Amino acid sequence: MWQNKHELIVVFLLFFLIPLLSGCWDSQEIEQRANVLALGVDKASEEERKKEDEISHLGKRIPIPDEEMIKVTAQIAIPGRIPLGPQQPGGSEKPVLVVEVVGHTLQDAMLNLQQEVADELFLGHLRIIVLSEEIARHGTARFNDFLRRNPEIRRTAALVVSKESAAKYMNLDPELERVPSLYLADMVDNLSAIGKFPPSFIGLFWSIFSSKGQEPYLPYLTVIEKTTIQLNGLAYFHGDKMVGKTNPLEIGIFMAVRGVGRGGYGAFITVPGKDESVLVRAVSRKTRTKVTLRNGRPHVSVKIQYESEIDEKESASIELSDSAILKKIEKEASKSTKKSIEKLIAKTQKSKSDIFGFGEHFRAKLPRYWDKHVKTKEKWDEIYQDITFDVSVDSHIHRVGMKSK
Amino acid sequence: MSLFRKKKRNVKKPQLLIPSKAAEEKGDTPTSSSLMVKIKEVKELLGNNEDLQIKQIKIFGQFPAASVCLSSLINQDVLNQDILKPLMYVPEHIKGKEKPINELINLIVTETVYHSQAKVGENMDQLIELMLRGESVIFIDGIKESIHIDTRKIEKRSIAQPETEQVILGPREGFIESILTNIALLRYRLPTPEFQVKTMKIGRLTKSTVAICYLKGIANETVIEEVEKRLSEINIDAILDVGYLEQFIEDNPFSPFPQTQSTERPDKTVANLLEGRVAILVDGSPFSLLVPVVFNQFYQTTEDYSSRFLMGSFVRLARILALVFSLIFPSLYVSLISFNPELLPTEFAVAVAGGRAGVPYPAVIEVLIIEVAMEILREATVRLPKQVGGALSIVGVLVIGQAAVEAGLSSPITVVVIALTTIGSFATPTYTAAFALRMLRFPIMILAGIFGLYGVMIGVIFIFNHMLSLKSFGVPYMAPVSPEDSQGMKDVVIRSPLWWMPKRPQFLRSSNNDRLGLNDNKVLEHNKVGNDQREDAANGGSKGDYNNSSDDDLN
Amino acid sequence: MGDPKEITTIQATTILISTIIGVGVLPLPLFAVRAGETSAPFVTLTGIFLAAVGLFILAYLGMRHPQKTIITYSQDIIGKWLGRIFSIFVIAFFLILTSLAAREFGAVVVTGVLRETPLEVTVIVMLLLASISCRNNINVFSYIHNFYVPMILAPVLIVVAFSLKNANLLYLRPIFLGNDLRGMAAGMLTVSALFQGSFIITMIIPSMKSPKKALKASFWGILISGGLYLLIVIATVAIFGPEEIKQIFWPTLELARTTAVPGNILQRLDIIFLAVWVLAVFTTLFSSYYFTIHSLKELFQLKDHKMLSYFILPFVFFLAMLPQNILHMYEIIQYIGRAGLLITIMYPAFLLIIDFLRSWRRGENVAKQT
Repeated sequence: MWQNKHELIVVFLLFFLIPLLSGCWDSQEIEQRANVLALGVDKASEEERKKEDEISHLGKRIPIPDEEMIKVTAQIAIPGRIPLGPQQPGGSEKPVLVVEVVGHTLQDAMLNLQQEVADELFLGHLRIIVLSEEIARHGTARFNDFLRRNPEIRRTAALVVSKESAAKYMNLDPELERVPSLYLADMVDNLSAIGKFPPSFIGLFWSIFSSKGQEPYLPYLTVIEKTTIQLNGLAYFHGDKMVGKTNPLEIGIFMAVRGVGRGGYGAFITVPGKDESVLVRAVSRKTRTKVTLRNGRPHVSVKIQYESEIDEKESASIELSDSAILKKIEKEASKSTKKSIEKLIAKTQKSKSDIFGFGEHFRAKLPRYWDKHVKTKEKWDEIYQDITFDVSVDSHIHRVGMKSK
Repeated sequence: MSLFRKKKRNVKKPQLLIPSKAAEEKGDTPTSSSLMVKIKEVKELLGNNEDLQIKQIKIFGQFPAASVCLSSLINQDVLNQDILKPLMYVPEHIKGKEKPINELINLIVTETVYHSQAKVGENMDQLIELMLRGESVIFIDGIKESIHIDTRKIEKRSIAQPETEQVILGPREGFIESILTNIALLRYRLPTPEFQVKTMKIGRLTKSTVAICYLKGIANETVIEEVEKRLSEINIDAILDVGYLEQFIEDNPFSPFPQTQSTERPDKTVANLLEGRVAILVDGSPFSLLVPVVFNQFYQTTEDYSSRFLMGSFVRLARILALVFSLIFPSLYVSLISFNPELLPTEFAVAVAGGRAGVPYPAVIEVLIIEVAMEILREATVRLPKQVGGALSIVGVLVIGQAAVEAGLSSPITVVVIALTTIGSFATPTYTAAFALRMLRFPIMILAGIFGLYGVMIGVIFIFNHMLSLKSFGVPYMAPVSPEDSQGMKDVVIRSPLWWMPKRPQFLRSSNNDRLGLNDNKVLEHNKVGNDQREDAANGGSKGDYNNSSDDDLN
Repeated sequence: MGDPKEITTIQATTILISTIIGVGVLPLPLFAVRAGETSAPFVTLTGIFLAAVGLFILAYLGMRHPQKTIITYSQDIIGKWLGRIFSIFVIAFFLILTSLAAREFGAVVVTGVLRETPLEVTVIVMLLLASISCRNNINVFSYIHNFYVPMILAPVLIVVAFSLKNANLLYLRPIFLGNDLRGMAAGMLTVSALFQGSFIITMIIPSMKSPKKALKASFWGILISGGLYLLIVIATVAIFGPEEIKQIFWPTLELARTTAVPGNILQRLDIIFLAVWVLAVFTTLFSSYYFTIHSLKELFQLKDHKMLSYFILPFVFFLAMLPQNILHMYEIIQYIGRAGLLITIMYPAFLLIIDFLRSWRRGENVAKQT
């Protein structure tokens, strides 16, 4: 079988000649990569701006003015500092390296960063990107281009907005996890699992940002004391610019309108006829959004069904012993939720930020109207300001826990 | 048959010039009738040998004769008691009978010698050959023909457990070197006239007996013919083991994959005969060679069939996993470490990077070094005497592994990976197939070092394509997966219950396909005993009670 | 000559499936969305339908001439020289198709995973793999396809299944957006051009055990591969939305990137997906390569196709290197793809009509004589 001998020769060529000729182009050992775990983006201050050297551009021929320069703080894992297996006692060294650089764009900053780090930067493990509120309000589009083009970036990485400077987050030292940024990333990832935040990751942010009938939203974090991070609300955007934030409880309201089934928030509801209140926690929700045209003007009606649970009562004077009182509480809960929803929608209308995605409903369900009157995202934002809406909330309390009273 | 289109095997032109063919020079000249001449001829050929034993006798006190044999090969008792005694001491029933010289041979063979294997031979070269095989020859003065009697006695070991294919459940017998015993072991399991054994002699010097065993009516005739043809084309001086034959009859000698299966187990051989394969036995080798083969049978064991099907299937799945591990695990590791660390969970990746921080070599080189060390270690353990072997493997695995990690030669995870790979390759029951994968691991590792996962895939595709293009005696190597065969597929990934496989695998093109009887099995109804069964019958019978249809959902 | 006719109907089906599913799946949602926004699934469906028509015509032609491929029966139908000229076009087209498929996948690999590796190397490795495998006979060809099909289907199904939790059904509506019919028609052509690999059926029919079942095989082949295509388009549109898809070169790959396996065993599915996808690309490449050399063999009435396999390798490689960059490449791919429909659908349809006319006239002649 001479054919096989031929095959054999080819195999030899394939296996033994190629490595001799060229070597391994893409091979980059794991320990020789500077694993960037987290990035924080801030606005560069006056003196920081001066630090920038001419690395990726020549002279001043760059359209972005110096005033908009950013400061990127990167958290890089140092191989060897994070031991394999169970943690050895006495490892007090910091397992990560925090580097600050400035640049005009994100990629510019990354190039500057590379000049300062011996190993090749590797973004494959980038788990979280923190934008300071200042930067977010200034517009995020200019970071997204780099993040999208780079195949190393995970689409599931988290993107958050911080109240403080993002650099502060990079320097945090939480005690629960060896690697600070992993704690941060896990925390953000878990938010949606425990019903504290709708699913949010960078890919979703992009998708929402691209689509015409909705505006993106991100978690809004703040640092309490030195080491604790708190989810302080929801940052909502108009286009790529952050325009406002909600308070934490409104996240739950937002999730209800957006139709996220998993509940996690609870609120004190005053028991009718008494001054005391009980804590009612949403377990799950069902949302139905209907869009119509009323006299040619868009109208949204939202119907939400809550399944809730009473977690706690404030004082012993409330008797939770019959179903009638539960009914009353249900009614009260519905009423207060409805109020909050209306307030939240009105709030976002003011800042032209349709984070609920009502526009998508119009686009999907009333394509003719959409084609004729809307078509673009900008137009929709204008229209969104004036849409009318009605909300109906229906609360059911099915569980009261192990206590009979 | 177009099945065997590619029959251009390159059997080398034999070199016939082999010394010591003195007997052949005599050719087929008949022996002379003179006793002295005959003895002289024998002495010429075998005279130097210490064990040549020539005993001159007078048959019935009357005819001068000689018994000639090689004393090392024969059973002296038989020669003395059953042959020489009746010849020299005239038996009662022929006393006084007339004994003409021309009927002497007949008289001796039919009435005198107490031995079933007494025959008459004439040619000197034939007689010499028989002597060399342990027969005793009786030359009689004045008669051209001579009597040769099988008095062979060769020391052989007793039947023992097969060393290379141990099972927990199942028979304990293994083949031994003697082909007669081996055929006996097969016949004992197949007491049917369909079981046929064809023998031929291969090897100009060894003249080894080669037996082709098959079940007539089940094995494909074309395959049998092809086996005979390929065997008859062999012209070599010596066949010392069945492996010699394998190398001559396989379809693609350049392939790393075995295209015949050798087994030590008679029960496995019989099982394969029953599927329609052909077994080749060689005198002197405790292995039988099974053809045609397909790849999936290399990870099957007889135990799969003797244990319950759930157990068999589970074990088989584990084995397949081990097979895959042993092929690509190190290369996956290399590509994850050097090319795509983003695939690892972040915590783990950071930790692995820590483990590798002190290692000076790229992951490919590291893995290659440890793999080569492992191969050497493994080979060494096979060669060492049993008592030392155990000690060495412990030293090898524990000490060298630990030391390598501590010396910064390799990272702890590499050692784990290599250990898993090595263990994985031991889980493959067939040594030859495991070896093929062990060997192919290296090129894939190198490809992984160049292209990462892309390279691994390229390597795997290359190997699969090669396997898919292989054929063993006309049967595609990857059957029954591709080309597909629903009957055969039941026995590939899982081991389906025996009552689920009513037909023999089609890909072997057996002449007879029915394994189970025509009636459907009633296995699933056994749980209904006594009253339950009667109740069912009373209620008009549930659907499984009377099997009118021979092929419902079970096949 | 004379491979045994052993290809079963299942094998013919699997050959079609694995040939059709190829690198084209990666940019498919982009093409479909560009043409039809939210009606991308509809565009895909019409594209599949068009491709199916072409395939059925071919299968039917093949059944009328069960011993021959399009190269040989075209010479019977429209005359020796005309048939040969058209055959040269067909062969040239598949030569280009082979090189473009290799190039496209090379581009994906170089952009997505192996960013430093030269494009030439990834392409040549793929082509070498195909050309070596092409030295086998047609039965092995069918075994290879048959073997890989489950491994091609599985990753797509897994990715789609896991990704659906982020799906937003609103993105799929309105199902029919009728404001750009011309664009949709163009999209339909582009989508059905992705099915051009199905032309391979003409080469398989002469080696089938029962050529009569070619139509059945084509039906199942187009149903499964088309179903998969549709599924991918629906899943990507439901997850990303049409606007986002327009910004991504390979939405299918991006889908894998967005998908997380429960338990975080593997963090990045896209790399695994791409690795397994080498298989799908290989089978497609293998088919068109095999078709090219097999047709060349028949055209020049050679005995063996094995030497041709290495002989055309430099040409394919050269063609693959022609596009300047990825944007240029996709322009060429779309252009060639649509132009190729003339060859893969119009030409067989033309042959079928002539064939009908001829047999009708022959029938009439026979009728006259009797």
